[in-house]
Amino acid sequence: MGKKRSELMQILRQTKLEALEKARTLGPEGVIALMEKRGLEGRGGAAYPTAKKWKTCRDAPADERFVVCNADEGEPGTFKDKLIIRHNAETLVEGILIAAYAVGAKRCFIYLRGEYDYLRPRLQEQIDEVLSRAGMEGVTIEIVRGAGAYICGEATALLQSIMGFRGNAMAKPPNPTTCGLWGKPTVINNVETLACAAQAVLFEDWDPTLRLFSISGNVKNPGVYEFPLGVKMSTIIDVARPVKKLKAMSFGCFGGIMPVDPEMAVTPETICMEKCQHGAYSIIFIDETNNVVDVAYSIAKFYTYESCGKCTPCREGTIRMLNLLKKVRTGKAVKKDLELLRELATHVQETALCGLGQTCGNHILTSLQHFPKDYDAYMKK
Amino acid sequence: MMAKENGKKDARPLMNILHEVQEKHGYISEHMLKQIAVEQDIPIARLYGVVKFYTMFHTEPQGKYVIEICGSPSCVLNNGVKLEKFLEKEIGAGIGETSKDGMFSLYKVSCIGCCDEAPAMLVNGEPRTKLTVERLRLLLKKIRENEAKQSDGEKKK
Repeated sequence: MGKKRSELMQILRQTKLEALEKARTLGPEGVIALMEKRGLEGRGGAAYPTAKKWKTCRDAPADERFVVCNADEGEPGTFKDKLIIRHNAETLVEGILIAAYAVGAKRCFIYLRGEYDYLRPRLQEQIDEVLSRAGMEGVTIEIVRGAGAYICGEATALLQSIMGFRGNAMAKPPNPTTCGLWGKPTVINNVETLACAAQAVLFEDWDPTLRLFSISGNVKNPGVYEFPLGVKMSTIIDVARPVKKLKAMSFGCFGGIMPVDPEMAVTPETICMEKCQHGAYSIIFIDETNNVVDVAYSIAKFYTYESCGKCTPCREGTIRMLNLLKKVRTGKAVKKDLELLRELATHVQETALCGLGQTCGNHILTSLQHFPKDYDAYMKK
Repeated sequence: MMAKENGKKDARPLMNILHEVQEKHGYISEHMLKQIAVEQDIPIARLYGVVKFYTMFHTEPQGKYVIEICGSPSCVLNNGVKLEKFLEKEIGAGIGETSKDGMFSLYKVSCIGCCDEAPAMLVNGEPRTKLTVERLRLLLKKIRENEAKQSDGEKKK
């Protein structure tokens, strides 16, 4: 059952430095083994096993290692990490310290997006507070302030930004886990993952299937909810309470725009077949009073604005796709334009360098497939 | 990826330095850029490239109130576009512009993470949520009244 009341959410359980204490009795290898046993996966969207990431970093030969908390939550429709920073930052900081202990890092960073800068003073206080009680000799946690670039949520771009460069995505390999900040092994975990890490260490009954859902759009009860994987879409809809009849749902921006299927069980595998990705479980509900093309247009604008410009398919492709959608919305498009749009979206996704470019056509491909009538309504008659 | 051109490991993060300069001066002027370049030992061309990459850094003077309207689908679905048009008209500046009286600068940003309280915007970094035309009108009125009071106070001094 979905819960909004903060005291009922697993993610808000406080570990009060007891998780760190337990981690120290387990030893670094023991902590990593426990992460594996608990089945913690990355909560930023890629679902990479945390134990594997930490182990790779720990085993990479180096004289120095780093831990980075990715608090650059920029995906439109996603606001769950903000909830954790606001209401359970101590546990998050403890998670960072546990990661540092497990991989053998001294210097840690929190990359906080510029749009959340108002949360920074309080977060800094909490970092200082936890550090003063943690007794982790020589370990520091520094907040690096983002400045409005979505791409910096992408691991390689984020590291560039911390080092004081333009936030351009870099080709992988090498992976940051073995060659990250200043060429040293670096663990990058998102806010939810690190808070979960602390909780997974401490609580025997910690449930790995619970996920945070950011719900917004045309609903009466938007907000952050905790549901187990496999939750029925109808359960989510019941809690969210749409105002009017729902037409579509958008999974963040890069997940695609899909018809609402109340019977659908939300899991990484089922959530929208192979054509779209579950990401960080953000659902934007769209009701029947809206045309899906308008939503696709706002998403296309987002991609055009946020493309870092490093690779050509994404830099040029996002602009062309936006222009074609503009043409559709002004009633000037003919059928051939839609074919071009589809072709362009597919091409860009196949050739772009990083996750942003590889998903920047999803909203177009899925909306063309599922909502041809919405496009028809705008077509040149 | 990590050759000679590395950022300096032991320096304070450049992003934080740039934010602090902007907070102090309202924007990052050419003069300030030159100074940071010397202090941090970074080629000025590279530094300029960094500043220009991030949308929150400004190289031109900004209005006293920087307004960032959220353009996320959640805000669009909750009347966000209407509010954007209203703001443009009320302050007399389009997206990316500063009003003639130097009071407001207007920007549209991707998502400020207030989707559950849409439509929303940031005013000098502070979130304003669940906006309506009426609430916006009141907010602008309040800002203008406060400004008028302040300038009156300064005149009396």
